[in-house]
Amino acid sequence: MTRRRDFSDDAPVNVERLNGLSIEALYALADKMGLDLPPALERVFVVEALLEAIEEDSAERKSAGDAAVHIEEKKYSGSELDEIDASIDAAPCIECRYNETVVQVIARDPEWAFVFWDVKDEDFDELHASDAYSHLFLRVIKEPGYDGKTSASFEVVVGDEDDHWYLHLPEEDRAYRVDLYAKIGAKARLLAHSPVIRTPRALMSDSLADLDPDAAELAALSGLASLKIVPAPEHHPSRILGAFDD
Amino acid sequence: MESGLVALVLNSHLPFVRQPDYPRFLEERWLFESISETYLPLLRVFARLEADKVPWKISLALSPTLEAMLGDSLLRSRYVSWLSSQLELAEKEKARCSGNPVFAPLSEVYYELYRKNYEDFTVLYGGNILGALDFYYKKGRIDLMTSGATNAFMPIYRNYPEATTAQVEAAVVSFRAAFGRSPSGFWMPQLGWYPGVEETLSAYGLQYSVVSTRGALLGDPTPRQGSYAPVSCPNGFTTFIRDVAATDAVWSETKGYPADPAYRDFYRDIGFDLPLEYVGPYIEQNQIRTFTGFKYWAITGKGDQKIPYSPDAARGRVAEHAERFIRDRIGQATAAAAHMDGRPPLMVAPYDAELFGHWWFEGPQWIESIFRKAQGVDGLRFITLSEYRRSYPDNFESVPEYASWGDGGYGGVWMEKSNDWVYRHVFKMIERMIELAERFPNESGLRERVLNQAAREVLLAQASDWPFLLRAGKSGSFARKQIEDAVTNFNRIYEMLCANTVGTEWLTRLEKRNNIFPNINYRVFRRKR
Repeated sequence: MTRRRDFSDDAPVNVERLNGLSIEALYALADKMGLDLPPALERVFVVEALLEAIEEDSAERKSAGDAAVHIEEKKYSGSELDEIDASIDAAPCIECRYNETVVQVIARDPEWAFVFWDVKDEDFDELHASDAYSHLFLRVIKEPGYDGKTSASFEVVVGDEDDHWYLHLPEEDRAYRVDLYAKIGAKARLLAHSPVIRTPRALMSDSLADLDPDAAELAALSGLASLKIVPAPEHHPSRILGAFDD
Repeated sequence: MESGLVALVLNSHLPFVRQPDYPRFLEERWLFESISETYLPLLRVFARLEADKVPWKISLALSPTLEAMLGDSLLRSRYVSWLSSQLELAEKEKARCSGNPVFAPLSEVYYELYRKNYEDFTVLYGGNILGALDFYYKKGRIDLMTSGATNAFMPIYRNYPEATTAQVEAAVVSFRAAFGRSPSGFWMPQLGWYPGVEETLSAYGLQYSVVSTRGALLGDPTPRQGSYAPVSCPNGFTTFIRDVAATDAVWSETKGYPADPAYRDFYRDIGFDLPLEYVGPYIEQNQIRTFTGFKYWAITGKGDQKIPYSPDAARGRVAEHAERFIRDRIGQATAAAAHMDGRPPLMVAPYDAELFGHWWFEGPQWIESIFRKAQGVDGLRFITLSEYRRSYPDNFESVPEYASWGDGGYGGVWMEKSNDWVYRHVFKMIERMIELAERFPNESGLRERVLNQAAREVLLAQASDWPFLLRAGKSGSFARKQIEDAVTNFNRIYEMLCANTVGTEWLTRLEKRNNIFPNINYRVFRRKR
């Protein structure tokens, strides 16, 4: 049984291979690639849209970023199709949630964090039983200064059906935590809070002017320019402070 | 005086793909291809250099998952079967290409490759590649390092010191079991470093690692010798710094040496080009086209029109690229030396080992060539990381920043829309594993086995390879299944322990299937206070 047919970057995708798929599989592939195709489209148009999207995606991947991971992909190449698992039993379907009230945050880079949360059914039912319940929101709190009340923070309203979000964190090299709240009338009820994370630095801790000429030259010879980590003279932290309450 | 030192660092890693429940499994080919195209050819390079008394030095990180697979008797025997099949195809190719002045000699090249692989693997090394590496390790030619137990991208787990400690402890224990001594070097998977990890590494006697240039230059304070000397963390742990120019010479997909038009094209393969009736027995399930390793065309240039591959022409380019590498490093070292404090500039060139020979077919030749060409060259010497550390124990004190060698320089490759769902489960597994280790700190017998298996499943779920593959769109279903299996197995164990019932038969089956880390101690997950 071949469950799902996706294509690897290595094996060239062509019309013949796409034509080998059912129209349902083509639509499924389009869906996975984020293409919003009208229903009951002629096969030829679906294939055309897919080829175009695959080409764009491939070009984007190749032009972006560090070579190491692109080349690393080569050691996993091997098949015509992305997955060949005719001999594998269907993968177990794991529960998507653990029915607990929790919020977690992971720093991805200097600007973005991945946040995921859940509200256990019991808590959720209780919230919805209240006429005053309005919505859930995340309060992003900049540390230090966290006192649970009035520290620097901003809020992001999330939907009842949401369970994860990428949050833009306004400052590099700062500690944050994320609290999950329910808005009930004029009050906010704390449901869970995350551990503290720290965003990594995006810019050098010392300015080039602080380095002695030899150190600055060695940094330059180390490829500093390509890393874009030198604070620009016009860089001003005020661009980020506006996001905070304080 | 030496004007420069070069540390060639190879990172050998494959995820744990052993699938004993199936007679044949596509992803096990990753291992077989790497043994055939990388590890055995590299061992032949080492033997030739050794025979010719060429001074060569390599730092080689061996991931515990690869280490386990190379030592696994089932996979060894499957590799021999796969090799026999490749040899059969090589013979068929000789017959098919017979009389063709261009392709007949190429078919001989492949026949010779697989014949030699068969001979080396079964006779010379007796199936024991780890033993062959150990031979050079003991001679001081290879500086063997370990790596994260399952190649976990460590910064993601920094808020769970139990999980990062488990990655380190399982690695060190595996290394000791394989090589009879403790490792000194630790390869941070994906060069994923974060401040504070040095404490965990040092606690296990590890002394050095490699970080990305970004991570180092963002360090606090900024290193004063750029990437040309390592930095020491306040606890004495040494971090070597990846050299951008040396690595780009190989890594760059468009400008790197492997992109040279004369080199063998990776993509054109008879598995895709020849009729199914012919290649059927050598691809998946006789019908799903895969790479076979038999490739007859040169990269040539953009477009579909390829010229036949010429090993002689490629050999010429290898020599030129080796010379260029040496020349460029000397130039780089000369420029840097003027600003150093008297010590020779160090250029650390880390690469994935599997790309030499597998992706860059001529890669092993190039490695051989750079050592031969550096011989007798004034002012440049190859050195291992541990040797450098012994020679230059005092370094500028700085702690590198969280960074990686992935796109964007941080964790974006392993955390984006295609793979971020993984972390809800893995975090939960870690929390539950900590809970189990706290609840059952002194178990023995069957319950200890169960807990150890739970710890194995947590480690397997942490592998960065699965999020990587999900993002890359390669073997996505396989990657997903590896995570789902580990989560399901773990949750079943958790529920069994909560209910105080253990399915012995199921556990034994699982231990046999996921037989990695036989000496694991689940107590490593006890809460770090």
